[in-house]
Amino acid sequence: MKTVYVCCGTNCLAAGAKKVLSELRQECAGMEAEVLPRIKETGCSGFCEYGPIVTIADEGENDITYYRVKESDAAEIAQKTIAKGELIPRLCFHKDRNQPVASKMENPFYSSQKKIALRNVGLIDPADLQDYLARGGYEGLKRALELGSEGVLEEMRLSGLRGRGGAGFPTAAKWETGAKQKEFPKYIVCNGDEGDPGAFMDGSIMEGDPHSVIEGMLIAAIAVGSEQGFLYIRDEYVHARRSIGKALEEAKKAGFLGRNILNSGFSFDAEIVRGGGAFVCGEGSALLESIEGKVGEPRHKPPRTSEVGLWRKPTVTNNVETLANVPFILAKGGKAFAQIGTEGSKGTKVFAMVGKVKRTGLVEVPMGITLHDLIFEIGGGIKNGRQFKAVQTGGPSGGCIPQSMLDLQVDFDNLTKFGAMMGSGGMIVMDDTSCMVEVARYYVDFLCEESCGKCTPCREGLRQMRHILTEICEGRGQDGDLETLERIARTMKDTALCALGRTAANPVLSTIRYFREEYNAHIHDKFCPAGVCSKLSVFKIDPETCVGCGLCSTLCPAKAVIGEAKHPYRIDPQRCTTCGSCRNKCPKKAIITERRGENGSKD
Amino acid sequence: MVARIDHKECIFEPGECIVTVAARNGIEIPTLCHYEGLCGLGVCRVCVVEMDRKIVPACITKLEKPCEILTDSERVREERGMMLALLRKRAPNSEVIADLAERYHAPDLPRLTVAEDADRCILCGLCVQACKALGSSAIATVMRGTKKKIGTPYDDISNACIGCGSCAQVCPTGSISVKDENGVRKIWHKEFRLVFCKRCGALLGTEKMLKKNRITDALCSDCRGYDTAEQIHQVLSK
Ligand SMILES: Cc1cc2nc3c(=O)[nH]c(=O)nc-3n(C[C@H](O)[C@H](O)[C@H](O)COP(=O)(O)O)c2cc1C
Ligand code: SF4
Ligand code: FES
Repeated sequence: MKTVYVCCGTNCLAAGAKKVLSELRQECAGMEAEVLPRIKETGCSGFCEYGPIVTIADEGENDITYYRVKESDAAEIAQKTIAKGELIPRLCFHKDRNQPVASKMENPFYSSQKKIALRNVGLIDPADLQDYLARGGYEGLKRALELGSEGVLEEMRLSGLRGRGGAGFPTAAKWETGAKQKEFPKYIVCNGDEGDPGAFMDGSIMEGDPHSVIEGMLIAAIAVGSEQGFLYIRDEYVHARRSIGKALEEAKKAGFLGRNILNSGFSFDAEIVRGGGAFVCGEGSALLESIEGKVGEPRHKPPRTSEVGLWRKPTVTNNVETLANVPFILAKGGKAFAQIGTEGSKGTKVFAMVGKVKRTGLVEVPMGITLHDLIFEIGGGIKNGRQFKAVQTGGPSGGCIPQSMLDLQVDFDNLTKFGAMMGSGGMIVMDDTSCMVEVARYYVDFLCEESCGKCTPCREGLRQMRHILTEICEGRGQDGDLETLERIARTMKDTALCALGRTAANPVLSTIRYFREEYNAHIHDKFCPAGVCSKLSVFKIDPETCVGCGLCSTLCPAKAVIGEAKHPYRIDPQRCTTCGSCRNKCPKKAIITERRGENGSKD
Repeated sequence: MVARIDHKECIFEPGECIVTVAARNGIEIPTLCHYEGLCGLGVCRVCVVEMDRKIVPACITKLEKPCEILTDSERVREERGMMLALLRKRAPNSEVIADLAERYHAPDLPRLTVAEDADRCILCGLCVQACKALGSSAIATVMRGTKKKIGTPYDDISNACIGCGSCAQVCPTGSISVKDENGVRKIWHKEFRLVFCKRCGALLGTEKMLKKNRITDALCSDCRGYDTAEQIHQVLSK
């Protein structure tokens, strides 16, 4: 029997996956018994940009996967592919112009991925416990119940798993601290706050494979000796909350959750808590304050939350992706997990690759893959034939990495060493139309709004940095500004109360480190080479390159493009706001950046 | 146990905070958001010191094992100076901050700007703690990030406020205004009738405070003590 997987992750839903699903169901309803497929509604299969995605798999290893499927394609898919196994090239991914690939595994976006945390996402119906069980679900729990606390801790030590929530703290060590505490009750908390702009892997896991997170929590509870857990889920994540809620019910009914689990004498229950809505609430101790019903502000450490946590009781907090790895480790053994990855960072990492890369989406790759492979092999390189400029990893606590370092092997320690961070795995690829000063200013601005504002260095430091960066972007940069920024950054790093403030300057420091010339151009030449800072730059159409297609003049929202068809167009610098509409679309790349002069015109 | 603070051997009980042990040994560490008896906030960060080469806030960092602490190393001076330079732009009208900034040589960085609506408040939150400790919780920190403020809910008149003025008393920068004039106290957009001892005229507090503390006789504790003694004397002499 064939199985049809219709991706119903958030992005595919937005692109109309539900309609495709119901059309397919209708088309298949009348089929003969021997070709009648099972139709599954799955979580996010990662290649969001090409959704809705439909995979038709036989009982063996073979599959045919279609992208950007429309409602109107359903009948053809049913009649040809489902009933007869025929390929519809039009719906396939094309490697080269005329080379459609049938299987997901031949698609370069998927072929070099290695899925552990996402092992089930896209391949099961998250609402169906049987699907999870059929793929080895709750085997890790059974093994953990046999092993007991010390045995589980040993597997975790062997695995070398480090927390995927940002800090990369060794999970085994955290659990051990929890296990050692003599206070009861103890709590297990799953951090599903996912506040990093651009990251969406935790939401995808909670939506697409909720039981793996619950199973991870159960195993943590066995190791630590806890009977109660909380899943703190970001307020906006309605689907994730629903999916986890359903899974908790199912798990309870099946005896995986609740009293005397699988007759082992071990009991554990978990409930959902809605997130507080600020980025800082994802910080471990602020999250606990928030669960307690207080304002989500970080606590002073020590004591660590694994010693004194929720309601002053020992509390082990782990990220969603971290927990989703745990059942695999218990089922397959810590050693198997440790075979993947680098010396200091074992296993895989899920990245949310977005920005100017050709193929955006969620990718899970072994630790140690180079940035180059991620961006150019999996991501297919830069869109619109432009130049790669930098990749921002780790969100607001992370940094920008330049072209010259694309061979860097991505793992926790390497990224930190070079001024970026793994963070939660957000990865924003930027081309030559991004201004690095503006990027730094964007993150600082974000944190000005999203920090708690409690301690002086973070609140005041961010405020001053935002001011200076705005001055630079608007042409009022001065000699010594970079030194002042670095000076503020040092104090924030040394003295802020929580990791938000201690890492908040990373986007600024890393851009100064790798793109100092661009800062200098802003400060000294009053020029933004990327053509982003509108007070410092203006666009010009290169008359040599322009073929007079006129696209720019229809696109320009400021009506700044003048001219007539078949002749080179011209941009009125007084009107141009450097919004970039023309530059993004110009087929000949005729739009160039120039310095904006004193009176708003070009020099 | 013994910690070396600025090369001086200082005895401590595990769990004591660095400021406490330092003060006992005559070593002064500047603090702003620290107030004996209120739970440690650790937010202003002017009390930073170097503990085994790590920068920590002295007011809430507990001593657990022998260690080496420097309260005036170059690094401490630099961080503390920067903190005060930042606070000076947050609270430009505060003399306390200006004095500290001068005493600890806060660098004069011309690019730092004064915050919008800046006055004397450094947003340390001690007032909120004091109000909470006294059971009123009339004020709170509102908003977050650089927009953080201290105030009554919606900047409106708070019903919970009893006008006790504890917030103003703990405020390190004298930022909260309390005015007692013509028998009326003005604080947090609200007016309170003041009550004086009916015998000696000493200020007892606001009407609301007396009500909350169930004091009905409008006597100060001295006068009440005197009355009680008088009554006992009368009983005994009968
Ligand atoms: C400002 C800030 C925001 C954070 N946001 C998140 C988040 O959204 N999700 C998350 O799992 N961890 C987040 N973290 C990391 C947590 O503090 C904590 O380290 C993590 O949840 C621990 O789990 P792990 O060891 O499995 O990574 C954040 C940290 C900081 C400082
Ligand atoms: S560092 Fe920032 S987010 Fe963290 S406690 Fe201080 S003000 Fe709040
Ligand atoms: S006095 Fe220590 S942080 Fe404010």
